[in-house]
Order: sequence, then structure tokens, then C-alpha cells
Amino acid sequence: MNKNIFLSFLTLGVLSISILLTSCKDNIPDVRLSLSDDSQFTVKSYQPVLGRNTLFTDNFSIGSSSIPLNFKIVNMRRFTGEAAPELTDYFPVQVWKSAYDGSEKSIAEIEAKRKIENHQLFEIRQHSGQFMMWAKANSNFVRAQPDSGYVFDVEVSNSGGRKYYKDFKLRPFKERAFEPSTIIANVGQSTLLGGIPFFSNIRGERTGRYLSQSQEDVVVLFNKKSDVGNSLTFKFVDTLFNPIDPSKFNTTQWSSLVHGFDMVKDAEKVTYKVAYPIPLAAYPTQYTVGNGERALSTFKYERQGFGNVKEAAFLRLEYAIFEKGDWEIIIWFKTERPKFTND
Amino acid sequence: MRYLYIIAFLCLFLGINQDLKAQQKKTVTGTVSDNSGGIPNVNIFYNKTAIGATNANGSFSVSVPEDAVLEFSYIGFKTVKMSVAGKTKLTVKMVEDDNQLKAVTIQGYVSKSKELSVGSSVKISGKDLQAVPVASITDMLQGKVAGLNIQQNTGSPGMRGSIALRGLSNINVSGSGDGAFLQSTSPLFVVDGVPIDDNSNFQYGFQSAGPGISPISLIPQQDVESMEILKDASATSLYGSRGAYGVILITTKRGNSKIPVIRYNTQFFVSAPPRLRQVIGGRGERDLRIAQIMQSDTSYYRSLALLNATEYIADSLNAYYNNATDWQSYFFRSTFNQSHNLSIDGGDQAFNYKVNFGYFDQNGIQENTGFNRSNLRMNMQYMPSAKFKLYTTINGTLGKNQKGSGNGLLNTGVATGGASSSLLPSPSLFSAVNSVLGAITTDNDNKTTELNTTTEMKYEFVPGLSLTSNFNYTFNTGVEENFLPSTINGNAASLYTFNSVKNSIYNRNLLNYFYSIKDGSGEDAHNFNAYAFTELDSKNFKADVIQNNKVVNDYLRGPIVGVDDYLTSLGGTLDNFDQFRSVAFAGNFSYNYKRRYVLDASYRADRSSSNGPEAGYIKSPSIGIRWNLQNETFTEKWREWFEYASIKLSYGTVLQPQGNIYDVYGRYVNGAVYNGAPTVLMNLGTLPNSNLQPTKNTTYNAAFEFGLLKNRLFGTFEAYYKQVDNQLREKPLANVSSFTNIKTNEISLVNIGYEASLTARVFEPSKPFQWTISVNGAINNDYIAHLPDGVREFIYVDPSTGQSIMYRLGQNALTNYIYNTKGVYANDSEVPVDPLTGLRYRSGANNSFLSYYKAGDPRFTDLNGDYVLDERDLVAAGNSQVRFHGGVTMDLRYKRITMQIQGNYVIGRDVLNNSLASQFASFNNPLAIQNGFRTNPSGVVPLGAYDIWTRTGQLARYPNPYDYLRSGITNPYRTNQTLFQEDGSYFKLGYVSLGYTLNQKFTNRFGMNRVVVGGTASNVFLITNYSGTSPESVSDLGRDSGAIYPNPRTYTFNLNIEF
Repeated sequence: MNKNIFLSFLTLGVLSISILLTSCKDNIPDVRLSLSDDSQFTVKSYQPVLGRNTLFTDNFSIGSSSIPLNFKIVNMRRFTGEAAPELTDYFPVQVWKSAYDGSEKSIAEIEAKRKIENHQLFEIRQHSGQFMMWAKANSNFVRAQPDSGYVFDVEVSNSGGRKYYKDFKLRPFKERAFEPSTIIANVGQSTLLGGIPFFSNIRGERTGRYLSQSQEDVVVLFNKKSDVGNSLTFKFVDTLFNPIDPSKFNTTQWSSLVHGFDMVKDAEKVTYKVAYPIPLAAYPTQYTVGNGERALSTFKYERQGFGNVKEAAFLRLEYAIFEKGDWEIIIWFKTERPKFTND
Repeated sequence: MRYLYIIAFLCLFLGINQDLKAQQKKTVTGTVSDNSGGIPNVNIFYNKTAIGATNANGSFSVSVPEDAVLEFSYIGFKTVKMSVAGKTKLTVKMVEDDNQLKAVTIQGYVSKSKELSVGSSVKISGKDLQAVPVASITDMLQGKVAGLNIQQNTGSPGMRGSIALRGLSNINVSGSGDGAFLQSTSPLFVVDGVPIDDNSNFQYGFQSAGPGISPISLIPQQDVESMEILKDASATSLYGSRGAYGVILITTKRGNSKIPVIRYNTQFFVSAPPRLRQVIGGRGERDLRIAQIMQSDTSYYRSLALLNATEYIADSLNAYYNNATDWQSYFFRSTFNQSHNLSIDGGDQAFNYKVNFGYFDQNGIQENTGFNRSNLRMNMQYMPSAKFKLYTTINGTLGKNQKGSGNGLLNTGVATGGASSSLLPSPSLFSAVNSVLGAITTDNDNKTTELNTTTEMKYEFVPGLSLTSNFNYTFNTGVEENFLPSTINGNAASLYTFNSVKNSIYNRNLLNYFYSIKDGSGEDAHNFNAYAFTELDSKNFKADVIQNNKVVNDYLRGPIVGVDDYLTSLGGTLDNFDQFRSVAFAGNFSYNYKRRYVLDASYRADRSSSNGPEAGYIKSPSIGIRWNLQNETFTEKWREWFEYASIKLSYGTVLQPQGNIYDVYGRYVNGAVYNGAPTVLMNLGTLPNSNLQPTKNTTYNAAFEFGLLKNRLFGTFEAYYKQVDNQLREKPLANVSSFTNIKTNEISLVNIGYEASLTARVFEPSKPFQWTISVNGAINNDYIAHLPDGVREFIYVDPSTGQSIMYRLGQNALTNYIYNTKGVYANDSEVPVDPLTGLRYRSGANNSFLSYYKAGDPRFTDLNGDYVLDERDLVAAGNSQVRFHGGVTMDLRYKRITMQIQGNYVIGRDVLNNSLASQFASFNNPLAIQNGFRTNPSGVVPLGAYDIWTRTGQLARYPNPYDYLRSGITNPYRTNQTLFQEDGSYFKLGYVSLGYTLNQKFTNRFGMNRVVVGGTASNVFLITNYSGTSPESVSDLGRDSGAIYPNPRTYTFNLNIEF
């Protein structure tokens, strides 16, 4: 019986001590995530090019805030203040489900990796604060420069609270369907005929000189024949736009010229079935330049030069095409035809 | 300390004439013994007068009146009263006195009964600290004190493990990577009433140049009478600012026997290396490398070309590359060690003395490391009358150690050398792996000499009022000599000599007054005790270094010649030159009513030269109360089962000065000459902060103590709240300011913890078989309460391993901030794809196509969903601090056999296994090419025991280690990921010790009174889920670098002879 008294006494002692100290916990701050004043967007004005997927990265400095943070675009409006349904409504856009790596064997295989989802055309990534502009946006209904564009705010929150960052500017450029483009970005017009390919060791048929890398000698023209198709054609033309047989570029590796299928080559042109955009992703493959940002198509030929030397010539295109359709890339030798015959 | 009781007891009767009445006397003989045999020097009292003592066998013969009642008393045993009426032969059986309350505790330099102390303290008898030969006695406290967290995280001879009392006191981290350590918060050591400077220089031993031998390592364990750990601010506040992290009192032995006693103790022990890392040797390594390159490279022909170009793999017939060298065998060894201790003591209250000679020699289990100590310690007490007492000590110690090529705690030379490829030839002057020769042939010889003398005088003016004056002088020199032979040092031998001198003078004058008011029955009812003291401390430290990088040859190590320029001969006085002065005034008042209600208050003011003149005195107040139930009248009827119970509450604040005088006033340096006159400029590194505050430690403590069933069951339960405010931290300034950094006090930390200890004696004390079990445990939770600039969170980024630390308000103080790994990608298709770009999840800002994750890569969580793994994906994962720790001690005795088992445990600690990560990472450079140059290839470890990814579709735990082309980019075996964060909980059987006391009749023939032989096995086994060597051999930030000096397992043979 006495032991019971003591046991209860002991329990009382232990309990009172515990309660005494637990009450001290009032001094300790709650565990909350931090949302600090030094967290800032480092870029406040965004100028994507319409008609292509654009990702803006490294635009937010976390400072001493706790991650992950939640980002949300709020109050998207036109510069004039009225609502901007073109950017707040959902549109079907093409998204990647599996990674493109250049090993796909058919267009169907590529298309199986993509599918259509509904998205707002200008989005913010929920936890990273990166902005995305989908290729679906075009200047037919999205206001492009020289218009003043859009203004919006961003809400950043975590369990530590929420903050608003105000008056971000979104001023898209008009589409440039292909790159390298001659279009002046904020006007959407071009003053030049076309770009210049990179080539080497190509001699003119008439003069025998090496052709010069300038607008005068060789120009690349991008020509979209229709919006519905899915093909890419390469054509070589002479000064009078007479076709040159692509087979003359006799050492060209036609299978790796572009990531396309069902090649059709005749005396005038070579055509592939392709999936757009080209390149499909900024991933280095045998069809792209080293960083994968541009497609790379190289035409090559060899001939016997003067004095029995081998002259290996090549012509290289580094380009990107963003819009779907039947595209034609025309390489126009403006001054004279290249010399394919042996000396 | 129990002899103090006898002192008090004897004091009363010293000088009283023994005018016994003439009575008829008779001679009584007999023996006094305990369970293991006769006890010598037992004092025999008749009528409160000492009339004799037992001899070496425990037998006695006294002449006393017919009906006398004799009292037998001996330190540590219960006094026995026995009547001689009708007997001439007595057999007296004594049992050990273990009443916790009767023990004497020393708090604030004054001893008082434990019953009247309000502070939290634990006392450990020196007898319990003898089982394992250790250089530093603090290692023996592991698991014995609730709330004292000792981790033996180094096995380096002469170094002590980390000590933390009641959780974390400082969250600042110095260094980076494997060399990152918490700033030291070592408790203050007070040895025989003199505070000992065991400061940050000795916490790890390598933070400053010099031998790095802690003064505590210079005290032999055989000479320790007891150790007492003071935990709360009420107990420590009188020790002032240096006691902010707790106080550990060490009391050494004194003479207390009329017959001189000679004790000889010797220990022979074998230190064996623990389980070492398994490696693949010779052909196995070559085959594995070939298979790795052939499988992982891009094409068959490229692989062949690479193999052919990598001579250490391809050139298998070359004798240089055709080896199977076991590198670890060159570093690790089993060693035979010894310790001897001889002590002679004797005397009585009026005059007693002690001489202790000790020798300790331990060779490290790594080559070229060791610790060796010789010491002579003497003390003497002279007390001609009850009013005057003189006590002096002289202690001289010589400590020598060798650190090899390491710094004591870390031995990176061994770690890198030991990880070399087995294909390389064994170490010789012509082989490539020089770190081995560096570790073995370096001559590293360090010497620490300490001379320490104390004189203490006590004079009692009138009864109750006494003055005690204590004066101490300590002189310490440290010498380090390091010689690198020319063969490993670019053809020129190098000599480094370090020489430091430290002296300190300490003085304390204490005035004590005791007064009692008796109640009606003549009992002391109101008891008052007050004392005040002053403390003066003066320290000087200076270290000089000479380095000659061009010694003539390996055999002539001097004189220093060939001094071409300042690069080959460096030297001077180091900038840790220091002079320190401090003064303190302190007072204490305590009151109790019939020992039932106790009130104790103290106040201390400190001032030191490390603060500026405007800092003023630093004040540390404390107050505590105590209620003793056993002295209440209402508990008397429970006597059958109730022994004692009391409740203690205390509060105290200890302030500790922070930073140094340069942080307050800035540092001035000489600049360029201007107009022919030298200029003085301000160093722009640190902005002076004249508002620098001392760190404030506030502790609330509540304790409940009880003893039941004639003390066969007793225990303590304590709870504390410890708040550390104004912690110093350096923070960077904006780059628009001229200065780089500023030091401010803006960090606050709170520790809340509970401690419990329980001891049970299973059998009655009179039974021959005795079994005592003690269990203790402590829970500690730390919280951050304030951070610099009022932020809620900040990250300490570790620049080398990326093992960053997150500090967040309200959360545990040191959180690992690392990548979260959730397994391994079994297939390429499991890697997430960015819907916008069509690219796979990739590593880092590098957008090489090799950086995209694929099957076999670790599945790191992409916290921010940007499909790039970078520092924005780090997560707070794991707490590197120990949450729950404690120990178990079991004591078994049967007649003359004793056995002690000690274990300790840690529950809840996250350890980062960098060692395992580096084993996997040893596969990432099979070509042994770094920055375009050939490097020494590293060895490989067998991975059979690990669940690694080898084929598509496999669900594995560890990523593919063989893909060396991409591992530099994807870094699958980065150390800062949760894959290598493991639970570091463990139970360690610290030691098992067995002793046997030989039959006294037998040993007496050889003139030996008591002979005890015994054996101890220490570090016996470890129960843990941790996959590395030991979760204890980790840094205090919970990182297992693999370079930490492992703890040896020792087997000791023990012999104690008492003459």
C-alpha cells in the first residue's frame, strides 16, 4: 500500500518535471518554411519567339527561402489592362511523354512519344519558377511585338507564407518559322533573301575559282509549300534556278542527312518524310550539331582536281524549322554551278 | 571523497585527552573482512576515540573494557558497531557503503554533502575507471553518466574522444569536407581544485601546431580517486565563464592509512586493428579493370585502344605492374603495450603523503604512431591543529607521441596510401606511392612536459569562519619535431621544429562561514553557510617554429645550413601568441532547515583581458532549491522500504566572452611606406564590432532522486532546458562595404533533454553473490531559436564534399542538406522527361549528352521539377547529432571474483558514410588519368556484398559504379545524398573485465597483502545496422571519412599488488 503511495509520488514528480519543461517550448519558434525577402526574380521581362517551345531558366534567385516554393501566375492581363483570355485559356499543345534520342525508326515511333495535352500557352513551372511558352502560341491571336504585350504578377508561397511579385512583362516576338532567319525580330520582316551555308572546297564550274561564302555566291532559301504535309526537300539550283542533280554530291551520307524516313531522290531533289520541329529536341544526335540545338545536314562530293589531287568538298547546313508542313530547302548557286567533274 | 567525512570526524576528537576511567580491561582479537578478504587499516574506535587499526591481513588486537562497544570504520564501507561483552575474538564483516546522499560533492570549490546540493552532478569512483588502459581518463566515462555524450571517435594514442555535455552548445562549423568539425565546446576540467586549460587546442589535437597532447591525458588513471561531472548552471556557475559547457572535477588520491601502503599496478595490453577494408588484389583487380573498360566504354575498338594505352593494366608482364600489394598491411599492425604504476601513500590526518610513479606506453595500430607517458605525482597534507591545514602537490609529467603523417585524428596519408592499386609494387624508395613512405619513414617526435604545483592553506579563525588560499603554478612545454627524409621530399630533407611554452598562475582565496541556530531540542535547525572567493588567473603562451627545407642529408639533421633564401628556411613566432589575465569575484549563500528545505544562491562576476575595457564584468547568477523527503517526519513510517527522495529545481546563467580583442577593435597592420614614413592600415577582413556580447547560457534543471529498499534500488530523473543566446558567428558583408566579414552574436539555440539513471542491486548486500546493474539514458533535442539577420533559415555550404548543413528556426540545429536518392533507374524509360523540351532529367548545368540520366543511375528527387539536378534540389534529411544515448554497467561479484561489463548505446543519429561512397567511387577512374596526366591508380574493393545495378531492368540499391565515362558528370556516388546517409545507432560492448583476488593466506607468505589478477577485453563488439567500420568512428558532424584513426580492440592483462 505504501509502495503505491510512493509510486504515485514518483509518477507525480516525473510528470510535473516534464510538464514544467515542456512549457518552456513556448520560447522555441514554430517550424515553418522560410519565405525570405532576399528571394527575387532576376528577370522581369520575357520575350519569347512565338511558334516554338521556349523555356526561361535561371530567372529566380532563392536566397534564404526554403525550397520547394510554389509559383503561380496571377492576374495575366494585356498591357492596356484588359483580360488576356488567349493566355489564360487552355489550348491543346504537343507535349513529350518519352525522351527523343534520335534512334527512332519511323514517324509513328516519334509521334508515339508525344501527345496532346491542354495547357495555358504561357505557364510557370510550379516549383522552379521557370516560364514556358508553348509552340501553339502564334501571332494570329497572341499580341506580338511591336505591341507592348502583356503584364502579369507571380504569387510565390510555401508554408512560411506568400509573396507577390508584380508587373512582369511578356512581350513575344513574331514567329520565325526557321533559323537561321533573316527576319528582324521585333518587326517580323526581312531585308535579305536568305542565309549563307557553310561550305568548303567548292569550285565554280565556269571559272574554276573557289566559291566565296557570301550572299553573292550561294544562298539558302527556306520555302514552305504547304501547312499540312510532313516532308522536307533539299534542292540545289543553279543561277537560272535549273535543278542540279543531288546525286552529284556523291559522297553524301543520305541516310543521316536528316532524321527523316522514306527518302525519295531524283535528278532534281531529295525528299524525306520528317517529324517537326527539326530538330525535335535539343539533344545531340547524328543529325544535329554538337549541342543538339540545330539540325545538321552535310552534302559532300569528291573530285579529282588539277594535278591529280583529291578535292573533297562539302556544304553544311545548320538550321532549325519550327513549323509543320512541306518544307523545301533550296541551295541556290547564284553565280555559277559547282564543278563536279574531274580535271 | 569519503575520507573527508573521517577528517571531519577525527577533527572533533583530535587533541582530546584519552583519560579513560580505570576499568578492568581485556584483549580482544579478531579480523575485519569484506567478501574478498581481510581489510587492512580499518580504524577501531572505542567511545569515539581511535584505539587501533587492523594490520595488513585485516586482523587486529586491542585492549578494551569488558563491555565496550567497538566501532569499525573504513572509507567506502558502512561503519560497524559491535559489543565485546563476553567475547575475546571478533569476526567483523563490512559491507560497502553506497548511500548516494552521504557522498560528498564539490561544487564551487567547496565540498558539501550531496543531500544539501541543489546542482545536478554525477560522481564516478576511480575504482570504476581502471578496467581498460587509456591515455585519457575521460574515455572511461563513456556510458557511465547520463547526459555526458562521449564518442571515442579516434583511436589515436593520447587523443581523447569528443565530449559533449547535454547536447549541442555551438552550431558553428569550421573546415570543410572530411575536415569539417563543430567548434569545440569542451567542458572545463578542474583537477584537485585547479581549473585546467583543456581548450580548443586539445579538442581535436590538430587545430593548432604542436604535440596536441591534452593536459588531461597527462593524468594516469590509477591516480584518480574520483571524477565528478557537474551538469547544470547551478552547479557550474561558480566556475564562471569557462564552466559554460559543464565542469568535470578530477580528484586524485591522497594518503589515508597509518601503515604505509605500496600499490603496484601493471597492465599489459595488446591492441589489434579492427576489421579493415577488403580489397581486390593482383589479377582480380586487373581482370575487373579490363572488364569495366570493355563493358563501359563506347565501342569495342576504343576500349581496346584505351586498355593498350593504360600500362598499369596492359603491361601485366612488367614487374612494376605485376604485383598484389596489400597496402593496408603496411600501415596497420597489432601492438604490445604496457603500463606500470607504483604508488606509496600513508599517514594520518595530521600528516599524510602520497607518491605516484606511472609509466604508460602505447603504440598505435597505425605505423609510426604512439603515446608514451611518464609521471611522478606527489602530494602531502600537514595539519598540526584543527585550525590550520597545509596541502601541497607537485606533479611532473612527460608525454611523448608520434602522429605519423597525420594530425592525430585524421590520418589522410594512410587513407590515400592504403587505397592504392594492388598492382603497384610495395613501398620502396623507387615506387610511386610516397604517402606510404611518408607515413612510415617520417620522424615525428613530440614531447610535452608539464610541471604543476599547488599549495593550499586553510585557517579557521573562529569556529565556523575559515579562510582557504590556493595557489597553483603550471608550466607546460611542447616540442614537435618532424623530419622528412630527402627520398620522399623532392631530394631535400626537411626539418620542422615547434617549440611552445605555456605557463599559468592561478590563485584563489576563499572565505567560508558556517552558522547554525538550534531549535528547542538542541538540534541544528536553521543552518547557514556563506562563502566568497576571489580568483586570479594569468596565462602566457608562445610558440616558435623553425622549418628548414634544405637539410644537408638524411643523417645530419643540423645545424641549419644551406640557407639560400627565406623559402628554404622559415621560422618565427606563431601568431597564436597569447597573454591572458582574468579576475573573478564570487559568492554563495546556502540555507537549510533541518536538512529538509535547502536554498542555494550564488553569484559570480568575471572580467578578462580578452574582452575590451568597455565589456565590464560578466555576471553569472544562479539559484536552486531542494526538498528532502527523507528528513520529513511523515516519511518515518515508510522506513521499511523508503530510503530517500528529493526534488531539486535550479536556474542559472553563465556568460562566456566571445571572440577576441581583434573582433572588437579591429586589426591594424603595417602598410606601404608613404612619404618616407611607414603607414599603419586597418585589416579589411573583419569589421570591428564594438557591440560584441558574451554568449549567454541559461539552464533550468529539475531533478527527482530516490532510493528504495535499503538502497538496493536508487535512481535519478532529470529534465533540463538549456538556452544558448548570443552565439558568435562570422557573416559576410555586402560587397559595397569595404570590409569582408563581421562577427555578430545573433544565434540562439535551445536544448531540451531528459536524463534518467537507475541502479539496482539484485541481492542483499550480505550475500556472497552480488549483482549490480546500472542503466542510464539521455534524450536531447536541440532547436534553433534565432539566426543572423532575423532569417528563418540559412545554409552552410560545404565547398568540398557538398555535404551542406541547413539551419532552420524551430528545427534541430544541424540538419544534413543533401540530395534525396530513391533507388536506381532500372530502365531508361523510368527517367522523367521534360514535356516541353523532350529531354530526360539530367545532372547539373552541364548539358553534355552524357549528363542525361539513364538506367543504372541514381534516382535523385527533382525537388523543383525543372528536370535538372542542381543545388535547388537539396532536401533537409537527417540530423547528425545524437538524440538518445546512454550506457549499461553490470557489476558481478562472487567472493573473490569480480566481473564488470560496460556497454553504451546511441539511438538516433544519421551518419554520412563517405567511406563507402569513396569505395564505389574508386571505380570512376580506371584509366588513372586526371587533368590529362597519369596519376596513381587506386585500388578496388569487392562489391559483391552490395546490391549494385548491373543490368537493365534490375531493381538495385546502389547505382552502376562501372560507367566511368559518365560518372564524372552524373556523379552517382556523390557523398551528399541520402543513399549514404545511414542510421548510426549502435550498441557497443565497451569492455568486459574480470578480476580475481588471490587468497590472502597464500600471498601473505610473499609479503603481499592483496593481489588481484585480471583481464579485460575492450571494444568487444558492436551491434549496428551501419554498413561501415563503426558508427562511432565518425566526426562530430556524423561523417565517416574513412581517414579517421580506427579504434583498436585491446586485450589487457592486469596485475595489482598491494604491500
